[in-house]
Amino acid sequence: MISPGDFFILFLILCSLGVVLSVFLPERRNPLLLAWISSIAAISVLWSSGNVLLYGLPFQIELWTLPFLGTMVLQMDRLSALFVFITGLVFLPVSIFSAEYMKKYFSRYNLKTFSVFYHLLFASIVLLLIANDIFSFLLTWEIMSILSYLLVNYEHEKDENTSSGYLMLAMSEAGTIMAAFAFLLLANGSGGLDFASLKSVSAGLGDSSRWAIFLLSFFGFSVKAGLVPNSIWLPKAHPAAPSNVSALLSGVILNLGIYGILRINADILPVTQIGMGLITLFVGTVSALVGILYATIRNDMKVMLAHSSIENMGIITAGIGAGFVFTVSGYPVLAGIAFITALYHMTNHSLYKALLFLGAGAVDSSVGDRNMDRLGGLMKVMPWTGLFFLIGALSIAALPPFNGFVSEWLTLQTMLQSAALQSKAVKIVFALCGAALALTAALAVTCFVKAFAMSFLGIARTKQAEKAIEVRRSMMIPMGVLAVSCLLFGILPTYIIPVLDHTITPLTQESVVDELVPPFFTVAKSDPKFSDAFVSEFHDLGAQTGRNVIPGRGLVVLHRGTERNPVVFAMSTSYTLVVLVLLLTGVFILIRVLTKARMVTRKPVWDGGVRRLMPEMTYTATGFSNPVRVIFEAIFRPSMLDERKETIAEHFRTAINNERKEVHIVDRSVFQPIVKWIQSMATLLGRMHSGSVNIYAAYVLISLVIVLIIQALL
Amino acid sequence: MNKWVLKGLKTGIKTTLYPDKEETSPGISPGLPQGKQTMGDEAQVVSRCPTQALNHIKDMISVDYRRCIHCFRCLRGIHNPVDWDKGYEWAVSIKEIDDASRMLGKAFDHSLHIRFVDGGACGACISEIEQINKPYYNIHRLGFFITPTPREADVLLVAGPVTDHMRLPIEKAYDAMPAPKRVIAIGTCAISGGIFGPSFASEGGISNLIPADIVVPGCPPPPLSIIHGLLLVVSRKPSASLTSPKSTEGERPHD
Ligand code: SF4
Repeated sequence: MISPGDFFILFLILCSLGVVLSVFLPERRNPLLLAWISSIAAISVLWSSGNVLLYGLPFQIELWTLPFLGTMVLQMDRLSALFVFITGLVFLPVSIFSAEYMKKYFSRYNLKTFSVFYHLLFASIVLLLIANDIFSFLLTWEIMSILSYLLVNYEHEKDENTSSGYLMLAMSEAGTIMAAFAFLLLANGSGGLDFASLKSVSAGLGDSSRWAIFLLSFFGFSVKAGLVPNSIWLPKAHPAAPSNVSALLSGVILNLGIYGILRINADILPVTQIGMGLITLFVGTVSALVGILYATIRNDMKVMLAHSSIENMGIITAGIGAGFVFTVSGYPVLAGIAFITALYHMTNHSLYKALLFLGAGAVDSSVGDRNMDRLGGLMKVMPWTGLFFLIGALSIAALPPFNGFVSEWLTLQTMLQSAALQSKAVKIVFALCGAALALTAALAVTCFVKAFAMSFLGIARTKQAEKAIEVRRSMMIPMGVLAVSCLLFGILPTYIIPVLDHTITPLTQESVVDELVPPFFTVAKSDPKFSDAFVSEFHDLGAQTGRNVIPGRGLVVLHRGTERNPVVFAMSTSYTLVVLVLLLTGVFILIRVLTKARMVTRKPVWDGGVRRLMPEMTYTATGFSNPVRVIFEAIFRPSMLDERKETIAEHFRTAINNERKEVHIVDRSVFQPIVKWIQSMATLLGRMHSGSVNIYAAYVLISLVIVLIIQALL
Repeated sequence: MNKWVLKGLKTGIKTTLYPDKEETSPGISPGLPQGKQTMGDEAQVVSRCPTQALNHIKDMISVDYRRCIHCFRCLRGIHNPVDWDKGYEWAVSIKEIDDASRMLGKAFDHSLHIRFVDGGACGACISEIEQINKPYYNIHRLGFFITPTPREADVLLVAGPVTDHMRLPIEKAYDAMPAPKRVIAIGTCAISGGIFGPSFASEGGISNLIPADIVVPGCPPPPLSIIHGLLLVVSRKPSASLTSPKSTEGERPHD
């Protein structure tokens, strides 16, 4: 029997093999090599982490011992395993997709470097996730940051890419420094650098260092996680990156920020202050709302998806924040549910965002444009890409039976559970955040109706969009795989929740699987937890349908309450899907039967009777999102740059030019004031430098005097 | 509290009772010339008509409603005016009314969707059509609805002589309507081109483009006539006649 550890070694070997081979093979063969090697590597790492995740066989590898830093340890516990699993799940289709996608860079950019960086990035992410001491964590974190910068900046000949790459790198380094300080504070007083010894001394830390560690780690890692206000690099990095790298960036690398936050604040040093939870919740909610607002009004597919990543990361963080608050207030069950929800949403986000980015990449490579105002009608020419993009859009818009629905529904339910809390103020915060998240969910629907409809439906707005052709099958299959996983994660929550429960049990010290997925399929007569009356009641509702045929605990997600309120929330996407399919086929057959005798005429779409429907006359993406832009004007605050009205005769206008400039709210309200303040300080200090030698001598004297005085006083 | 709610309650229902009761309010209709037995000065009356709607047939003066533009020249300023009809039920089915196949089914009786297209009208017919959707005439109470898209329309209302530019939109709208569909021509222009007639810029009536089923004469027809046309299309009211007096129906010297 090969152990998960062996598979992990296999993974490392494959990655190094990939690096070596990509250097020696000719460029032309590189994309194919990348696809083969890294997808096999992804499968091996999926196997290895899947084993840990399902059967709980954590493995440990001692890498090396440095004389002054102690032993470097790699250890895959269940939390790491989940993140590694998601990484593999995203890397597998993205690698296959890259084989065809990277061909467009042939002879323009160096494919060898891409391949080398790609394998190294894969290895560094996995190593980072299972690093179990500060040194290897920070080391792999740095390697990962730099490699992801290099990959994002792959099209380095474009100037704007270079600047957005630098922004990404700078912000990421600032975040790393903050996180490193948090680690240093943790390590202060502990014997070693490995997480276990940090954990053992963490209980003795005082409040002020706890707060410092929380703030440093949360805001430090929030750069990678793309949370407001540290998210400004994300919408700039995504359009610069090749689409497969974008898929990795949103599907994998953002998760690493979440991993960092969870690792420190839930595992090593569990939060103890309700304020920390509230900060997390608040930042998450604001990110979600700001993210989706900007996503809705952006027309570049990848910029839109980048903003939507901020939104989803916000939802995940809000879930984690709720979990923190519940933990601190002494509701481990609710905390468990909140953490499960957050991790579930993170998994889902990785899947559908990778799918959507691959879809955007497919559109980009076949049309050569990503601006939705210039797309349109792609469903006719790219039906499969369209279908997969639609599934991604439905998932991210949280519509059943796809995966986004389950986790967003659970998130909102979690927010409602705040009724159990004591403090009125906390309850109010939860209520406001819940309302904001609900608004976010609604705007997400608008955003993705727009994204799909404006790109794939209607008529083509440009020649290129009209002449687009469907992408090759090797690009379609990865999207198909992700689309199917979106569906599976949506209809089988009762199989995924127990796995996630295993993951978070070490954090909350309590398994909550019974609280979310009652074992309707396996419950024995007179189970003390699930009384016969309770079970039979749900039996009558059909919760035990398929009991002896289907494996697992059941197909119903249900949270039980008290006597007075037996069911707090319940749903079953699995049964819903069955009913949905039955109803749809029923209606379809009924309509077929009823209209068999009818004559059907087909006429062109009603176009308002115009002489010729020009693409410019159809609804544009800008027009579609305009209501949102108008309603939330106070947030967008556009400034008019140009409001020309061109007239030929006195009363006739030929054109009205409206050019607006919008500064992102975070830029406007956080970064610009900081920059301004620094600049004004600099000018203030600049006045000291008059150029006269006498004054400089005076400065030296004055400082000497001050130092002496201090010396004398001490 | 908005005042209009109170005001509405205070005012009560003012909507016309037509078609259940005859509408008799003054000014509800301008009326139509009715023709008459000649008295000897028929030549003078006939020559006053600017559109040759009046004809002298046998010993009678007949009016062709397809042409009359309500100029009142045959009523005012002469000694011996034609008889004047004060009614408003003027809509005429120009296909055989009793032909069962031409009738819309029972299902449409109280659920009729109307798409209106302005075929280059001067504005008079449009403002009259506007009225039928307003509180006084309120076609909703009869189960008639204006719809923005021809896709769900059963009846196409056309006003105006169908100018060159509106030919295509009307054709397209008619084409987009699902069967069974009916066309109602509102006003003299839509029936025969009116004072514009057929020309390089005008089709000269909707019938030259698509088959009209019902015509509502008048220049413009008052709202009640239009409602009569709609009631006629669902066979809730009988048809009037195109020419008057009845004895000369269908006969025209030029035909
Ligand atoms: S009212 Fe009619 S019939 Fe009489 S003169 Fe004028 S157009 Fe002719």
